[in-house]
Amino acid sequence: MKPAPFKYFAPQNLDQAIELLTADDQARPLAGGQSLVPMMNFRLARPSALVDLNRIPELSSIREVDGALHIGSMTRQAALLASPLVRRLAPLVTDAIAFVGHPPTRARGTIGGSLANADPAAELPVVALALDAEFAVRGVGGDRVIHAGDFFKGMFETAIGHGELLTEIRIVPRLPRAGHAFLEFARRYGDFAIVSVAVNLRLENSDRCESSRIVLGGVGPVPVRCETVEEQLQGRVLNETTIDAGCGAIHADNIELESRGASRQYRLHLARVLLKRALQQARHFAKMNLQ
Amino acid sequence: VTVVTAEDLPAGVPPIPCRIPAHGDVTPFLQAPLAKEIIRYVGEPVAVVVAQTRALAEDAAEVVEIDWQPLEQVANVAAALTPNATEIHAAGNVATSWSINLGNVDEAFASAAVTIEHKFSTSRQTGLPLETRGLLAAYDAPRRQLEVHGPTKIPHTNRRMLSAMLKLPEGNIRFVEPDVGGSFGVRGEFYPEDFLIPWLAIRLRKPVRWIEDRFEHFSAINHSRQSELEVRAAADAKGNLTAFELRLTSDMGAYMRTHGDVVPSYIAAGFPGPYRVRNYRAQARSVLTNKSPTGTIRSPGTFEANFARERVIDMLASKLGIDAAEFRRRNLIRAHEMPWHVGTTGGGHPTTYDSGDFLAIFERALTEFDWDTQSEPLAGTLVAGRGISVSVEPSALGIFESARVEVDLGGHVRVVAGCTSQGQGQETSLAQVAAEVLTVPADRITVVHGDTGQIQFGGGTNASRSAVMAGNAVYAAATEVRKKAIRTAAQKLECAENDLTLRDGRVEIVGAPGSGLTLGETARLVAPGDHQLLISPGNTIIPDNDGLTATSDIRGVPSGTSVFAVHLAEVVIDRDTGQIQVKRILVACDVGRAINPMIVEGQLIGGVVQGLGFALLEEIGYDDQGQLQTATLADYLVPGAYDAPVVKAVLIEQARSPSNPLGVKGVGEVGPTGVGAAIGNAVANALRLQGGIDTLPLTPERIVAAAS
Repeated sequence: MKPAPFKYFAPQNLDQAIELLTADDQARPLAGGQSLVPMMNFRLARPSALVDLNRIPELSSIREVDGALHIGSMTRQAALLASPLVRRLAPLVTDAIAFVGHPPTRARGTIGGSLANADPAAELPVVALALDAEFAVRGVGGDRVIHAGDFFKGMFETAIGHGELLTEIRIVPRLPRAGHAFLEFARRYGDFAIVSVAVNLRLENSDRCESSRIVLGGVGPVPVRCETVEEQLQGRVLNETTIDAGCGAIHADNIELESRGASRQYRLHLARVLLKRALQQARHFAKMNLQ
Repeated sequence: VTVVTAEDLPAGVPPIPCRIPAHGDVTPFLQAPLAKEIIRYVGEPVAVVVAQTRALAEDAAEVVEIDWQPLEQVANVAAALTPNATEIHAAGNVATSWSINLGNVDEAFASAAVTIEHKFSTSRQTGLPLETRGLLAAYDAPRRQLEVHGPTKIPHTNRRMLSAMLKLPEGNIRFVEPDVGGSFGVRGEFYPEDFLIPWLAIRLRKPVRWIEDRFEHFSAINHSRQSELEVRAAADAKGNLTAFELRLTSDMGAYMRTHGDVVPSYIAAGFPGPYRVRNYRAQARSVLTNKSPTGTIRSPGTFEANFARERVIDMLASKLGIDAAEFRRRNLIRAHEMPWHVGTTGGGHPTTYDSGDFLAIFERALTEFDWDTQSEPLAGTLVAGRGISVSVEPSALGIFESARVEVDLGGHVRVVAGCTSQGQGQETSLAQVAAEVLTVPADRITVVHGDTGQIQFGGGTNASRSAVMAGNAVYAAATEVRKKAIRTAAQKLECAENDLTLRDGRVEIVGAPGSGLTLGETARLVAPGDHQLLISPGNTIIPDNDGLTATSDIRGVPSGTSVFAVHLAEVVIDRDTGQIQVKRILVACDVGRAINPMIVEGQLIGGVVQGLGFALLEEIGYDDQGQLQTATLADYLVPGAYDAPVVKAVLIEQARSPSNPLGVKGVGEVGPTGVGAAIGNAVANALRLQGGIDTLPLTPERIVAAAS
């Protein structure tokens, strides 16, 4: 329960942090520490150094920029949950954060930490992919933007390169008649999900599904976008029959993970049950959301 | 930094003994403090690293090189029992086996109107105290005094074991219990570390501290419960239960530990439960596997037996078309049949129910739960169901308990008990007992427990025994002090003992409030150097005098006391996800007499919530190679505040136990005992199923599989 020896740095600005991370490829940034610190205590993670980001104020912000939502990577999950701006511009984030851990872990845990950690059972990566979020990263060479579809590379693995830091998450403006839902199933309240589902869809005035992004969590090494389901729903009025057909289009191949007490078969079953409920909710919200 | 291995152990150090009678000789299966040559489970101690800080010790442990040669693993009982299975010990893979044969089972089955045959299993679980194990040992070499802080359950027993292993007299060892919140059967048994840490303190001549982390805790602490129960039951056409048959196979892990085979022994002995059944046959085996060894956890054996039996009772009732409550009414043991001898023995104790009107308690529980009122109908994928469990929990086992009550010269009272406390509130309840006898306020009494330096003998806290055993020992000692005080005061006041009474902490002349002597004044009359009374002035040597003090012990009743308990549960299940929500749950029991009703209620409520963990969440998993897969609290799930439903505890003081002067019965393990059974029956009822609900815990995946 004691970590292997490591160095500790507390840079005051982003440039210093990037310099430290560039200089040592075994150094790890420390955000809220809710995953990394226990992993270090178990000696499952053994970084040579921690670069603590908690003293860099520019990384904590929630802003509206031309209707889009920009969230600094060090913004605490508790701040997101409490933010009226987030609720207005990206209610899917608010809904999902309620499932992330417990109040004490949300008080420390950050959005960037959760996304960069890329735990396959975590909620925020699923939501980021469903919202087609953009990930702003900065390295010595300057800034670049990674799209959600390219960000998650594998279990606990992202497209953030050596010496780079995730600085901001950007979520495109929400449109009228857009509807969303985030649902998950866990054994106990606050646990990582066995399966989670995020739905972000838009209805035409005729109530036909204009577009949708449907993402499953807890089923693969990275969040799994269900394009077959999206295609199945495209251009259709969402009713009992079309929703059932959509849920049926989740393919067994989408489910790669299994664990004690949650086989692939059970996860597939849960994914279909949750997606059905999520689509019903998203349809309802879309119809209400006339703006 | 120091590293020791089995090579360094003193020559001839014996293995850790079994402290409870077993069904056969378990000596060939006992565990040595450090493994030598063969490692039999993941988590078995191989070497000890001692350093000045924990971090340094962990760094050093990483560079210890062990030359491993993989052996064939035996990861479950099926593998252990195959004809050509690898033998875990030279004596084989079956540690003990025994049978029970009461009445005429074959005839009962031959003439039965209905029979049920079903197989149940209960998964591996543990007690999971909040504080992991920890020890601090220091040896004062010139004084040959070893002091060990940390054991929390049976310090006197552990001291005797350590004394034998170290060849150091018991009087040179002092065990002191720290303040901890919970033992649940696992914390405080004698483990390899309980030898290693004190031994290292002597060897190194330095205090040695060890506190395990949660990871180590999951792999090293006693596990329990993993059993398969193949059950047959028979009833006649009128709904009279006529026979039970049980084939039991229990997974003991890689060694037999201090509890031996007591858990399967309790399963088999207590299986008939509160029913008037005279035909009962059982065959039981305790089988070794390459997993962590096992011992008792709260409601050992009874939790498993109650689940299987009560499920079968529901199946029988359903097959006969008789209501589940009505079927139990017909078959519960009647008050006039007490005491009821089941005819079995568990852990060497005869299974006897000493008192109680089971039927009256059962009816009271149904009324308190409002059993006959239908619940609101539910919509969508939700279904509701209710379940019953009736059971008898043994308590207050063990051969003795010891206590001393002292009144000092200022009249302060100190109670020293041989029990321990892991948060059960003995400081309060034992003070209450002494307060009542000595007529002083309970808050003026100091209670000391769990310290072998303070009292020579002690039984400890386990088997729901402290209120009964320590309570009565304190009662006996306080009564002795009271008599001594009255005898002393009678001499001083030159009156008859019958003219005196104890009131508000004074020995008073009856009917004359404020007369006589305070307890402190009385104590001064018999104090060494000052005693004017009881001892004639001519005597210069005064044998066996320790002032106004008495040390008493009480003999245990071999079968202990027995508590009849009813658990009733209502659940709502989402058929699609398999999620079970416990809407409400009730436990009602006959406690004989509650010394402190708040403590009893707290014990029952906490126990029920722990039982919900056993029923719904907790499962220690190993893979086919014997690798532990649930070594963190993210994998081994226990209920937290978010998961606890409203629990109603109904305390009934109906039949005082005839086994002890206070008439109390032990309730520590009543809370969980019927929860698996009541929840299992409620789930089966909700899903309108009989088969399928036969494995605990009832995980969502198992529910979905059963419902589809």
